[in-house]
Amino acid sequence: MSKTLKGITLKGSAELVAEFFSFGINSILYQRGIYPAETFTRVTQYDMSLQLTTDTKLKNYLTNVITQLKEWLFDCTVQKLVVVITCLETNEVLERWQFDIECDKTSKESSAPREKSIKAIQEEIRSVIRQITATVTFLPLLETACAFDLLIYTDKDLEVPEQWEESGPQLIDQSEEVRLRSFTTSIHKVNSMVAYKRTDSM
Amino acid sequence: MDDMEDDTTIISTLRSFNSLISCPDRSVLEAESSYGRSDLQKLYTKRVEMEEAASRIRSHTSLLQLTQEKQQMELSHKRARIELEKEANSSSRDLQREVDRNRDFLMKIKRLDEREEKANQALREQIEKNKTLKRNIEELQKKANEKDLKLAEGEQTIGELKDETRRLNQQIQIQESKFSTQNLEIQALQEQLDVQNQKYQNVQSSQSTSTESELKIKELERRLALQEQDSVIVKNMKSEVARLPEMEREIKRLREENTFLRETKENSSLLKEETEGLRRKLERMERVIEEKLKLELEKEKLEHELQAWENIGQVTGLNIRKPEDLSREVIQIQQRELTLKQQNYTVNSSIRSVEKARAELIPEISQLRAKAQEEQKKRENQDSLVRRLQKRVLLLTKERDGMRAILSSYDSELVVSEYSPQLTLRVKEAEDMLQKVQAHNAEMEIQLSKAQEEAGTFKLQAQMVAAELEDLREQLKSNTETSTLATAEENATLRQKIEELEAERQRLEEQNNILEMRLERHNLQGDYDPVKTKVIHLQMNPTSIAKQQRAEEVEQLRAECQRLRDRLRKMEAGGAMSTDDTTLIIPPSQEILDLRKQLESAELKNQRLKEVFQKKIQEFRTACYVLTGYQIDITVENQYRLTSVYAEHMEDSLLFKSTGPVGTGSMQLLETDFSRTLTGLVDLHLFHQKSIPVFLSAVTIELFSRQTVS
Repeated sequence: MSKTLKGITLKGSAELVAEFFSFGINSILYQRGIYPAETFTRVTQYDMSLQLTTDTKLKNYLTNVITQLKEWLFDCTVQKLVVVITCLETNEVLERWQFDIECDKTSKESSAPREKSIKAIQEEIRSVIRQITATVTFLPLLETACAFDLLIYTDKDLEVPEQWEESGPQLIDQSEEVRLRSFTTSIHKVNSMVAYKRTDSM
Repeated sequence: MDDMEDDTTIISTLRSFNSLISCPDRSVLEAESSYGRSDLQKLYTKRVEMEEAASRIRSHTSLLQLTQEKQQMELSHKRARIELEKEANSSSRDLQREVDRNRDFLMKIKRLDEREEKANQALREQIEKNKTLKRNIEELQKKANEKDLKLAEGEQTIGELKDETRRLNQQIQIQESKFSTQNLEIQALQEQLDVQNQKYQNVQSSQSTSTESELKIKELERRLALQEQDSVIVKNMKSEVARLPEMEREIKRLREENTFLRETKENSSLLKEETEGLRRKLERMERVIEEKLKLELEKEKLEHELQAWENIGQVTGLNIRKPEDLSREVIQIQQRELTLKQQNYTVNSSIRSVEKARAELIPEISQLRAKAQEEQKKRENQDSLVRRLQKRVLLLTKERDGMRAILSSYDSELVVSEYSPQLTLRVKEAEDMLQKVQAHNAEMEIQLSKAQEEAGTFKLQAQMVAAELEDLREQLKSNTETSTLATAEENATLRQKIEELEAERQRLEEQNNILEMRLERHNLQGDYDPVKTKVIHLQMNPTSIAKQQRAEEVEQLRAECQRLRDRLRKMEAGGAMSTDDTTLIIPPSQEILDLRKQLESAELKNQRLKEVFQKKIQEFRTACYVLTGYQIDITVENQYRLTSVYAEHMEDSLLFKSTGPVGTGSMQLLETDFSRTLTGLVDLHLFHQKSIPVFLSAVTIELFSRQTVS
């Protein structure tokens, strides 16, 4: 990590955002109960305690995706990252956690670091993750067995690497959307939101 | 040929006719003969002859008629022949047609035959198929029969199973009844248990009291230890008390010392204060001395300075003896400075005014320079003109000289008259030249006039343009005046238009906002622009893996379900044949598990009951042994062996056998080695008194007496 106390470079920004996604996805999986709570372990990051999975398969999958995502963040070709939660019985999409990524493409040309401290960025990230944790209070309970998938929206001209394939957007029929906080490293801006299937009672 | 045939036909018809006529006559003749032959015979014969004659005549006539007829017939025949020929022709044609038709028919027949063959073949095939189908049907029927048989077997097995279930139900009922009895027993046992519990509680209460008492004992022991400690302390105290007077003496001594020390301490503190005051004084004195030194140094410095000032006064020659003089001097200098400053200001202002004048003069100079340049240009032009004119003058003088020379030569030639042609030539030349020059001059004049004209036109144009400009200016002015009235309406319409456009703009803005909101919403829902964006994910993502696993699981379960179904079918087909080659183990159902548990508990109860029974029986037996003096054993069914307490040998025993139904209690003594020795008692008590208890007590008394005697 090319962290400096005074500014932030494109590479450092990509690292930070990828790290945020790693912790954010873990938090979602833990909070929404996609994987059993006993497969998670407690770690301290961003001055708060977070849950990280110990499931080796899941770990491998996440590291795979995050390393690829880091490259794309560095190239500024990624537009969105979506965590899709699907019901296994009906194959219905129940929740979509969408992270819109706005890249400042000018930073690719000028390698001069931006004036924003790591501490301030981490403060913003912390508040986003807190909000993710708090969403459990209003999201409908996932009653059936569910699985998740990670979709990445990229530029059209991007070459799809091996082991990756194109997918549909996995939209929710009749959804409710809630915007969450956003954070910016002054190079990447990440807007978070969650969409969930409207239940009949509403 | 035909004629012959016709003849024969006629003859044949005649014959038949004759025969036809002759026949009835004969019959009539015969009939008449039967009635009266004698009288009538002659008449009859005459009549016959008459009739024969008549008939001959008739036949003649008829013959004639016939010939006529024959002729007619022949005619008709001919006609007929012709007709027949015609007919034959037509018929031959018909025949031909028929033959053709026949061929056609034959063809058709052939075709039909072929079709028939095909149909036959189809039929055969169909028949074969039918046969096979029949066979199939038969097989199916057989199968159905087999199935029916199996069904019947199955029903039988079901019936058997039902019977079995009934039997099992009965058993269960029996078991239940047993359970109820056992429950009753258990209740009895529980009551006993309660009694035991009460006892146990009593014991516990006694134990608790004992523990309490133990605790008390412990406490008392502790108190004892404390008291011992106290006694030790008291001893120590006593020894200390013994030392007390000494201590008091010491204390007195120490007090005295104390007072002495206090006095000395006061003295020392006084001395210390004094020394402190002296030290302070010393310090102050030192400081005063230092200050004095400093002041002396300053004084010297000031003296030096004073000397310097005095020196300055002497050097400058001014009357500076005192500081007042100096101040006066300074004031004078200041006044001088002020005057100089005033002068300076005036000079500066004059400079500024001069500079202003200069600045004003600069444009004038430039103007003048421009003028001078113009003048110079003019002068140059003039110079060039002068030069040109001088050149011309030179040329003209030359020409004039030439002309003069020519004229002189003329004059001379007039005398000589030899050069006249030459002179005339030259004059001509000169004249030509003059003409040319004049033409040139005229051209130049024309050009000049043209140029002047052009200049005039340009001027006119300029004037016109100026006039137009003026007009336009006027128009503009008028316009500004008139437009105020005319544009009011226009203004109104324009305003309306503006308002409309504004309204439209607002509407469009709203629409735009709505569309943006929708776009935002779509974006929130995860929609994207497929032109710019694409969505990708890892092939092996958790969702697809989970789905795959699920599918596999479903497949497995389906397979298992199929297997189980097959098994069930086999079971149904094979009836009670529960032996199966598949090593599948059906997990026991909940019911079976429950039943097993019940069974286990029941067995446990049974076990407990058995134990209790054994205990009770043992108790009962010992009680019987002790009370009656006989140990009763059941060796064989319905046989009881009694062994007395007082038996001399272990094998001395009496054998009884119960006779009749169980419970009636009629017993018979069986012969043993021991009973043979008691024949007297047997006779007396069993045969006479018929009482077994009396016999047994007699035996007891006998044996007891034998033992005591021995």
